[in-house]
Amino acid sequence: MKSKGRAMKSIRMGMTVAAVSLLAVSAGSISRAATSSSPTVTISVASLIPGSTKAATQQFANQVTQFEKANPSIKVQSVEYQWTGPTFAAKLAAGTLPTVFTVPFTDARTLGDNGQLADLTAEVKALPYYSKYNPAVIAEGTDSKGQIVAVPTAAYAQALHYNRKLFVAAGLNPNKPPTTWAQVESDAKQIATKTGQAGYAEMGKDDNTAGWILTTLVYSLGGRMETGIGTKATATVDNPQTVAALNMLKKMRWTDNSMGSNFSYGWSDINQAFAAGQVGMYVSGSDVYTNLVQASNIDPSIYGLAPIPLAANKNAGVLGGGTLAAVRPDANPATAAAAVKWIDYYYEQPLINKAQAIRNARTLTASKQPVGVPALPVFDKTQYDLANTWIKPYINVPLNQMKPFSTGIFAQKLIPEPEASTQSVYHSLDAVVEAVLTDQNANIPSLLQQAQSSAQSAIRQGT
Amino acid sequence: MSTIDPVASTAEKAQHALMSKAQAEAPRVRARRTPASWVRDGGLSTLLFLLPMLLVFGAFSWYPIVRTVIMSLQHTNLVQPATWVGFANFSQVIHDPLFPTAVKNTAEFALLALVFGYPIPLLAAVVMSEVRKRRGLYSALAYLPVVIPPVVAVLLWKTFYDASPTGVFNTILGWVGLGPYPWLQSQQTALPSLVLESTWANAGGTVIIYLAALTGVNHELYEAASVDGAGLWNKVWHVTLPQLRGVLLVTMILQIIGTAQVFLEPYLFTSGGPANATLTVLLLIYNYAFGNSLGGDYGAATALSLMLAGFLAVFSLVYLRATRSWSTG
Amino acid sequence: MITFPFRRRAATADGNAQGLVSPADWRRPRVRFGLGSTQTLLLVGLIVIGLGPILWLAKSAITPTQDTITHPLALFPHGVAWSNLSRAWNDVEVGHYFWNTVVIAIGSWLSQIIVATSAGFALSVLRPKYAKYITALLLTTLLVPAIVLLVPLYVEIVHPPLVRHSFIDSYWAIWLPAGASAFNVVLISRFFDNLPREIFEAARIDGCGPFRLFTSIVLPMSRPILGVVSVFALLASWKDFLWPLLVLTDPNKQPLSVRLPTIESQTELGVFLAAMFISCLVPIVGFLIFQRSFLRGSGLGGAIKG
Repeated sequence: MKSKGRAMKSIRMGMTVAAVSLLAVSAGSISRAATSSSPTVTISVASLIPGSTKAATQQFANQVTQFEKANPSIKVQSVEYQWTGPTFAAKLAAGTLPTVFTVPFTDARTLGDNGQLADLTAEVKALPYYSKYNPAVIAEGTDSKGQIVAVPTAAYAQALHYNRKLFVAAGLNPNKPPTTWAQVESDAKQIATKTGQAGYAEMGKDDNTAGWILTTLVYSLGGRMETGIGTKATATVDNPQTVAALNMLKKMRWTDNSMGSNFSYGWSDINQAFAAGQVGMYVSGSDVYTNLVQASNIDPSIYGLAPIPLAANKNAGVLGGGTLAAVRPDANPATAAAAVKWIDYYYEQPLINKAQAIRNARTLTASKQPVGVPALPVFDKTQYDLANTWIKPYINVPLNQMKPFSTGIFAQKLIPEPEASTQSVYHSLDAVVEAVLTDQNANIPSLLQQAQSSAQSAIRQGT
Repeated sequence: MSTIDPVASTAEKAQHALMSKAQAEAPRVRARRTPASWVRDGGLSTLLFLLPMLLVFGAFSWYPIVRTVIMSLQHTNLVQPATWVGFANFSQVIHDPLFPTAVKNTAEFALLALVFGYPIPLLAAVVMSEVRKRRGLYSALAYLPVVIPPVVAVLLWKTFYDASPTGVFNTILGWVGLGPYPWLQSQQTALPSLVLESTWANAGGTVIIYLAALTGVNHELYEAASVDGAGLWNKVWHVTLPQLRGVLLVTMILQIIGTAQVFLEPYLFTSGGPANATLTVLLLIYNYAFGNSLGGDYGAATALSLMLAGFLAVFSLVYLRATRSWSTG
Repeated sequence: MITFPFRRRAATADGNAQGLVSPADWRRPRVRFGLGSTQTLLLVGLIVIGLGPILWLAKSAITPTQDTITHPLALFPHGVAWSNLSRAWNDVEVGHYFWNTVVIAIGSWLSQIIVATSAGFALSVLRPKYAKYITALLLTTLLVPAIVLLVPLYVEIVHPPLVRHSFIDSYWAIWLPAGASAFNVVLISRFFDNLPREIFEAARIDGCGPFRLFTSIVLPMSRPILGVVSVFALLASWKDFLWPLLVLTDPNKQPLSVRLPTIESQTELGVFLAAMFISCLVPIVGFLIFQRSFLRGSGLGGAIKG
């Protein structure tokens, strides 16, 4: 009968399909067994800042390809990423951070304590070079329970960036950057008078960068913004050195008129203005040269790097900071392991492994990205110097223009950022800096009093 | 089913409709309402038609409104579970030193926007309404800034407001000997600069609304006024403005409500600076919720949102009551 | 107060509807000169103020960055930099973000049309017994300013109550909430209220079910109001900044309004201005072509006479 015939036909069809799929599966598994038996893990990783040049993006893609070739069971997706105070919180809350992302030293411990970073202790301790980490630096990524929640990828110190071309145009010696704040003031005045550009510029944006740079100035005069740790810390933002730093800014701004006409620079804007030749000197992290090349295509010959002038005060020191790579808390063990592999490959290997350092340098130079920007050791100085010798042939940044910094920094006392509620403390100072720079009659004591109370309440609340 | 031609034989169909209505109104036994009869009567299809609205509004309008009230009474940061804190959020907001600053700045913005942006479009519309040729050109020019995406307008004006002597506005003012101004870099001039750009970007819409209302003014009123010997200004004052009363009052309250919620300009131009001189209530709400890199204070953000909404509601009621006598009769 | 029975304007002999200034007034030289010069002044003002900034943007889009910084009002002192435009297109990828803006706008528009027409039809034509409760709810929603919804809506998108994953970086997070516009529903309901009831009755008698009534009769008759709602919807979507900023963190999905400020400090000024100019082109051209609908939609025909 027709129906029976059809039933027979469908049974036969079914068996054929089953047989074919069995063959396919076994064939697949045979071939898979030949490569690896682990399933593919996909991770998303923070790549470059939004707006980076095509060349920079290309080199990152090349790095990803190399990694995937060496780790066939891991697939990597690049995600544009930039850590800023306001945007990070939104991404954190929304759970849209890539699997691997970066955070500054200031936030990692609190995030770890809040359970917002994956526990990487096992994977990190298994790294062959784990014992070589600079203890102060690895501590920045260790939460209060002793779990490693973030891996240090870079450390930097604040530095004074100066425009050699403007120095020459103002009649200053570009090989002799200022070594005291008094010299900074007079050099700034000279640049402003002779070239019409801002002699010294300061970040004044409301996104915590203004407070960050002010803190740098205060540290270099010997002051501190906090004493104690955790929610029991005491804010000391209204200390005498803060007043001195603000008065110095006030003098440069209103008496010398050497700070130009833009007082709302953020981290990226000031880099952009500097690269465009509008700024004589400014303070920022020692590693910004990379951004100057990637975002603003700076002419290397104008760049000079000097250490921050320190006051003759035993407490005077350089604010240090750094970046850590962390992993989302919802990563399963396989994902976390893959993530640490990526962190190891992209961030750590170039610092500790000769072959990888050379490979990394080659990839960067192929896309005309900067190699050899001075940094602070994530491991120890010996390792840092050694790594620099490995990549020496590939260094394409004007190292001798950065010599004042690279020789001077190691003699300076390095001080970590304020420990408790760092970003909120910076934020409380933003308005103070802005007021001093935009209002000639700004009442510094009362402004600092307000900053002090808001910093203290943020510390108390642990936010 | 045959296609229905709505135009043809409407009269016939209307006749039928009236007849069947008459029949339906004759007393008859009430049928028992069962689910089946409800479906038959079209209840289900009505509900189906209402479904998109009910779902969308329920999920994205009514539920969030309820949640705002709830969240304002809780401490939430989306990491740990929420805890009830009563009115602590409201108290925290009121005691925040930035709160009076934000309120003052928002009020100042709204007031300045009224001063700049309210009479000028009216004057322009009055002049435009009497243009005999190429009125379309005037309208197009007035409305052009409204068509520019607001973000582009702000970023463009940000370049104009460059405070160095070679900034666009400073260069132009330099031609007539006016010194370089700090624009966004000074606490005194930052907020007016924002208002200026906001007016530029939005006045065109108001001009068009006024223009439309002006063309609706009965010309016989003007004729009568001319007969009474009224000159141009008198006609504007005694005929045009009173006739436009309704539109004027509505645009005023709408503008006030709109400027009370200004966010884009302070956020993009100055991030609330310098020194919180352009911090508005909306920007403060945003900062509460999204400004802290360790997590937001959603309780404070929702509390402040409710306070703003409450204020606007009360303000609107007072406004409507006060102007009711004015806009009728 | 003088009142008159008729409200419509009658055209005068010379074809122009009479307004503030009568034809007799126009003939007086003082009026003609005074009003004429005011109008010319206004026209010049409108050109400088309304058109000026856009012309500057167009010029600067093809001017080398250094020239824009040092001599912003000079006209090409060192030639033209067409490369700004190509870099804006290729590096900044203005086209890609513009496309995102369009996709978002179309989705939001569709969402609003579907919700408002279906609801308006149900409330106004089908008129169930509970319509008044829903209308009351709608009116209260109208009074609530958008800010009240912002935070809970965001939290809802991040942690939706029933679904496990967040809707961040999904266009649905923008399309669906866009439909919740009480203004649209009220507008369309009022319009449907004014449609002749007899036509519906007639169609019902012909055996037309509600769906057929909706698609074949009501919608075709609603073109004017759909046009108005569409213009409002498209403009609102175009202007939207804060919500897409919060909800679309993936740069690939962002519309122009979110992307441009993000890359401002990483992009050379000349290229950035070129990107801004390109992103203005479509709205401006669209406006010039569809002027009448725009102006009619935002307040009516009297604005474009002449």
